[in-house]
Amino acid sequence: MTYDVVEPIFFALLTIGIVSAGAGVVLANRITTSALLMAFSFLNVAGMFVLLGAETVAAFQVLIYVGAITVLILYGVMFTPQQPRAYGLFFQKQTPLAAIVVVPIAIFVALFAFSFRDAPEAGAKGHDLEPLATSVFRDFGFPFEVASVLLLAAMIGAIVLVKRDEE
Amino acid sequence: MSVSLGAFVAVSAVLFFIGTAGVLVRRNAIVILMCVELMLNAANLALVAFSRRSASVDERGSVFVVFIFVIAAAEVAVGLAIVLAAYRNRPTVDVDEIQRMKG
Amino acid sequence: MIQNVWLIPALPLAAFLISGLLGRRWLHHWTGVIASTAVGASAVIAIGVFLEVLGGKTRTIVSLYEWIGVGDFRVNVAALVDPLSSVMLLVVTVVSFLIFVYSNGYMAHDHGFYRFFAWMSLFVFAMLILVMADNFLLLFVGWEGVGLCSYLLIGFWFERPAPYVAAKKAFVMNRIGDWGYTIGMITIFLVFNSLNFTDVFARVEENPPTQSVLTLIAIALFFGATGKSAQLPLYSWLPDAMEGPTPVSALIHAATMVTAGVYLVARSTPLFAAAGPALGIVGIVGAVTAIFAATIALVQFDIKRVMAYSTVSQLGYMFLALGVGAPVAAIFHLATHAFFKALLFLGSGSVIHAVGGEQDMRKMGGLRRKLPVTYWTMLLAGGALAALPPLAGFWSKDEIVGAAFTNGYPILWAIGIFTAVLTAFYVTRALWMTFHGEPRDHHLHDHAHESPGVMTLPLMALAVGTVVLGFAIGWPPEAGFIHRFLTPSVEIPGESEHVAEVGTIVVLAIVSLAAGVLGILVALAMYVRRRPDPVAVARAAGPYYRILVNKYYIDELYDHRFVDAMRALFGIAWAFDIHIVDGIANRLGWLAVLGGGGLRRVQTGIVGNYALTIVAGLLVLLVAYGGYAAGVFTR
Repeated sequence: MTYDVVEPIFFALLTIGIVSAGAGVVLANRITTSALLMAFSFLNVAGMFVLLGAETVAAFQVLIYVGAITVLILYGVMFTPQQPRAYGLFFQKQTPLAAIVVVPIAIFVALFAFSFRDAPEAGAKGHDLEPLATSVFRDFGFPFEVASVLLLAAMIGAIVLVKRDEE
Repeated sequence: MSVSLGAFVAVSAVLFFIGTAGVLVRRNAIVILMCVELMLNAANLALVAFSRRSASVDERGSVFVVFIFVIAAAEVAVGLAIVLAAYRNRPTVDVDEIQRMKG
Repeated sequence: MIQNVWLIPALPLAAFLISGLLGRRWLHHWTGVIASTAVGASAVIAIGVFLEVLGGKTRTIVSLYEWIGVGDFRVNVAALVDPLSSVMLLVVTVVSFLIFVYSNGYMAHDHGFYRFFAWMSLFVFAMLILVMADNFLLLFVGWEGVGLCSYLLIGFWFERPAPYVAAKKAFVMNRIGDWGYTIGMITIFLVFNSLNFTDVFARVEENPPTQSVLTLIAIALFFGATGKSAQLPLYSWLPDAMEGPTPVSALIHAATMVTAGVYLVARSTPLFAAAGPALGIVGIVGAVTAIFAATIALVQFDIKRVMAYSTVSQLGYMFLALGVGAPVAAIFHLATHAFFKALLFLGSGSVIHAVGGEQDMRKMGGLRRKLPVTYWTMLLAGGALAALPPLAGFWSKDEIVGAAFTNGYPILWAIGIFTAVLTAFYVTRALWMTFHGEPRDHHLHDHAHESPGVMTLPLMALAVGTVVLGFAIGWPPEAGFIHRFLTPSVEIPGESEHVAEVGTIVVLAIVSLAAGVLGILVALAMYVRRRPDPVAVARAAGPYYRILVNKYYIDELYDHRFVDAMRALFGIAWAFDIHIVDGIANRLGWLAVLGGGGLRRVQTGIVGNYALTIVAGLLVLLVAYGGYAAGVFTR
């Protein structure tokens, strides 16, 4: 019972976090601000996963997105020094135009999203590791192997791309 | 009353379009990459929501999310490698100035 | 031997291949020997075939293989061996052999020696195919082949412009005639459903088609014959063809190729006989051509041109014979003419060789003592041409004009007699100007020498034929060996032989003899005693003389009327090609470039643009999905 009250509150908090952090990523002037806000947005999404009961996925989200990808982005920022920018909002001529175009569509799609009906009985919370693992390694074994090859290729590709030419 | 499925999907949609706006507006290549990550997250959120909240818990959505993690990671790595390589050519990450592929 | 009849063309074909492929680097002058031997062997086999046909095998078909077998259209590569074709085989191979031997001497200094014998061998091959064929299509193959070789050989000395222009003219005129032949051949197939001689002639008898169709076929075939045999209107290539080497003129343009038209009409006698007015047209065209060409020959100064027009004229006689219903006489004259005209040409070649290439008779004269063999043989040939007994020409020509009279064509007979007078005149004039009188160019005269044996022996051999042939096979007139031999293959079914009485024959013979003698006497009077002086006559005749010397301006007429009209047509076709056909291709290219240029602008190189495009596509998808889900778009 308590859960039914708590859940919407947490949901609202997380929503505010996600949306504002996302807006911040787009609108912040400094890159590092954008990067950190992005990380914050990832964390909130992980919270959403927990709310849905997909704990393993939430764990992966934190590990991969917050852990690896944010670090990668920050490395990228480090190796491409730019003129330092002022703190503040990023503003360009096109920003209002983009807002005008995107906002209505976003509202429309969001309203459309509410037309989805969910299951008549609530799903189980938690205990999703075992079915998930079974599914990945048994039913989707082949895509799993392909994904590992993809990672290998990406790794080699990235290394080759940034290799300095031998003099 | 637990949160309805539609709410999760709505959040996902909003996040997605925020990311789209970012891709269109920003000039810095790395910021664009970050916005793309936002879009991917939005997709993940929607997928997990559908996976957990449909009639029977269909974990295939979650499996797909796992694969998206993998691909997103690979994509960020390679994308950043490209940005670095371009940066070495001309010390800029402003996509408006990288126009050598003009047809 | 008849079963081996295919060896006869095969040997010259082999000679062609050997001379053509190996002649330039390895065989050189041996090609002459090889080619002559090949044709000689063919002649021997031809004699064998002839004897077998004589012995009783009057009609054999030797089939090599089935060439075309498409539904109803069946054409075999097969030979029809009957009296007519065996006579033709004999004439072609024997005369060719003698000319080949002669050419070994005449062309000895020419660096195109091997090429000459290659083309000549190919020619003999094609001509033999022509006379041996048992169907119209195979005959046409030979027909075209001799046309091709004529072109190649007329233009043999292509380094100079005149020969290849003449070669082109010959080929084009032949082609125009071939158009007629083709129409005739196609009509034959459409009407008779076969191209075989045997089938067609049988069906003409049993189930003749309408008169107009038959006349069309006959006229079409005859039109082809006028092209090949240099009759009006397609004759003017023959005098120009004298640009080729003299052996070529002798072989192709006197003895063999030009007789192909005569052979065709003779072979198709059943068709022509059933075709009503067609034979009459043949006869008239032949007679008119005969007199027309003879008048031109009166005033020519080039010795070869005199002979060329003489050939046209004599061919006219042969067609005249065919036209009055005496095909045997036509073939008889074909055979004798082959011998004496070849002799006249080869003799002219000997003279030309002796005076170092000069062909203008005004520069000759008094060569009698310098070139005895040539002189005496040419004298015999000239007598045959003028139809003096007992030389060959008398028997055959007399029969032609006699047949014209007895079969009821007195006007044609008169034309023939008058032309005989002219013939005797011009041949006497030519011989006199060349061999008698005072030498007009002493330098040429001093250097003149008799030709080597390899050239004089064929002259003598031909002279023997000229003297003996007519008497041997044509006596008694209308009932000699040749008549009995040939009649079965050219007889007109259903029509009885029109035999005149002895008295008529004798009178007609005396009249033709008188005509010849008259011509000779007038010529001698004019040139020996200068009474009347030919120069004065020429001046007095003024414009008439000029017309004759300029060959009635026919060439100029053709050039203005036909060639210029064709040129206008070509201009239109060329403009069409350049502007419309090429224009379409160019416009299409221009369109592609335009499209490419426009599409290129999408590639701005600006990442932001690409992102925008992606998002725009995304929106389209959203709209589509949304519409589908909402039922706006049906599935």
